[in-house]
Amino acid sequence: MWASYKKRLTRDLDRWRQNGWVSEEGRAAILADVEASGREFSLPSALGILASVLFGFAAISFVAAHWEEMPRFARLLLLLATIWIGYGVAGWLAARGHRAFADAAILFSAAMFGASIMLISQMYNISGDPADGVLMWWIGALFAGVLLRSNPVLALSLVLVCVWSGMQTLESNEVHWPFLIGWAAVSAAFIWQRWHAGLHLSALALSLFVVSLGYLLDNGHQHALVAILGLVAAGAAIAAEKAAPEHEHVAAPILAYAVAVAFAGLYALQFFENPSLGTLVALAALTLILLLAAISYALATGNRGVLWLGYIGFSLEILSVYWKTVGSILNTSLFFLVAALLVAGLAYMALRLAQRGQGGEAAA
Amino acid sequence: MSSAPRYFLPLLIIVALVQSAALFKMVYDKDRLLNTGHEITMPVKPLDPRDLFRGDYVTLGYDVSTLNKSNTPEGRIAELRAGSAAFVTLRPKADGGWTVKDVAPAFPSQVAAGDVVLKGRVGNAWAQADGSEKTVSVRYGIESYFVPEGTGRALENQVRDHKIEAIVAVGSDGTAALKGLVIDGERHVDPPLL
Repeated sequence: MWASYKKRLTRDLDRWRQNGWVSEEGRAAILADVEASGREFSLPSALGILASVLFGFAAISFVAAHWEEMPRFARLLLLLATIWIGYGVAGWLAARGHRAFADAAILFSAAMFGASIMLISQMYNISGDPADGVLMWWIGALFAGVLLRSNPVLALSLVLVCVWSGMQTLESNEVHWPFLIGWAAVSAAFIWQRWHAGLHLSALALSLFVVSLGYLLDNGHQHALVAILGLVAAGAAIAAEKAAPEHEHVAAPILAYAVAVAFAGLYALQFFENPSLGTLVALAALTLILLLAAISYALATGNRGVLWLGYIGFSLEILSVYWKTVGSILNTSLFFLVAALLVAGLAYMALRLAQRGQGGEAAA
Repeated sequence: MSSAPRYFLPLLIIVALVQSAALFKMVYDKDRLLNTGHEITMPVKPLDPRDLFRGDYVTLGYDVSTLNKSNTPEGRIAELRAGSAAFVTLRPKADGGWTVKDVAPAFPSQVAAGDVVLKGRVGNAWAQADGSEKTVSVRYGIESYFVPEGTGRALENQVRDHKIEAIVAVGSDGTAALKGLVIDGERHVDPPLL
């Protein structure tokens, strides 16, 4: 995405330069600024991360292969050595200005820290709480990520928080509320780092947690709560967008996650809960109206995430209603008639919006 | 983010030290428990040999892994919920085994001489269809015994027609750690680390 933006901007700048709208210095300054800022992701750093993952696998299989020949104390020293080597290489790389590669080396060490926890558990036949090991791991990764300001390690930490919570949830079959503590800690680190991709990870993790509430609370019958939480969050995001348009870049993605959560709740209410036909029809109508509203809002505000979610949700909803009502009182042709009317309505709305957009441009 | 933070090298050393210390503490705690914990041996329940070796660890079952009214007449099983802690008081039997004296959600206030308290965690709790008898499964963290890669098959043959007991070290707070196995009276224990 970044490369394409740069390419387009270069092309536009060339044209603007020819038209005399920007000076040659201005053009060079703009390109230099684009080059310097916002480079969140590049091929070398991606390859560096991949290499660190491969180094990690190599180290683990080496340790595992020589595990039995080694005295136990030597095993511990070897594990500690892999961690220190990773941090040592990170220091060496950072001193030479290869910050992205240093991040990869730090990630390697954080992974080795987790591998050490597991191998030590195995050494002592610890089977009790694998989740406790993951808890120790994510805290260690968060510590490293914050002190060394390393985004990849913070991302690892958030993934581990999810794994930790998932294990606890599977074991007890109850909501694992401490997830929120881990989530908030890592998310705060993301905000402090101003790392947008990380905040997307945070939002995704929280959305999954909220959706899981529907399946865990009240013996798995709290999907209404999920739908309401999603709708409230969506309403808040829209209100925030209206009240503070300068924060649109924050509110717009939140709206997308909220729409996804609300749809997940409504979907479960309709298709996993076996409601009566009347309730199903009412819920389906509500869901379709909300999805259409989301789509039209997305078209009006240029929110591509919500737009795609709306389209996907709409298709999923229609297909699922069809599946559920096939052969029942609501017969198939009637169903398609209703669906066709809805889609026709959507098309009309989209046309109106497009015309309004054109009218606005013509006026301006 | 384009340049390394200030004091990057000292911070790296701090992170490496803290993580190493955390791992060292993990080892130290376990080693101490194995060395100083009260040592008991418990018979391992005969298990289906097909299920016994998953990968390279042995899954061990104990008499105290499932508790109900018939094996724990005095226990407060009704107070135990899935996921909560369970403290099981064991009383030695004349023939060397153990009987379950009590099970409670908290560490018992009084422990008779010779009794051992094990701390576990309730996995499942279920009741009979008529709701009369509640059964709980409890895990103590001593259910897996890791064996060297490739030796599982040999041990499996041993297990089939031999008597196996687990050597368990129990800390003063009831935490249990698996120290080793006794196979036909022969002790198999890893040497301590520190």
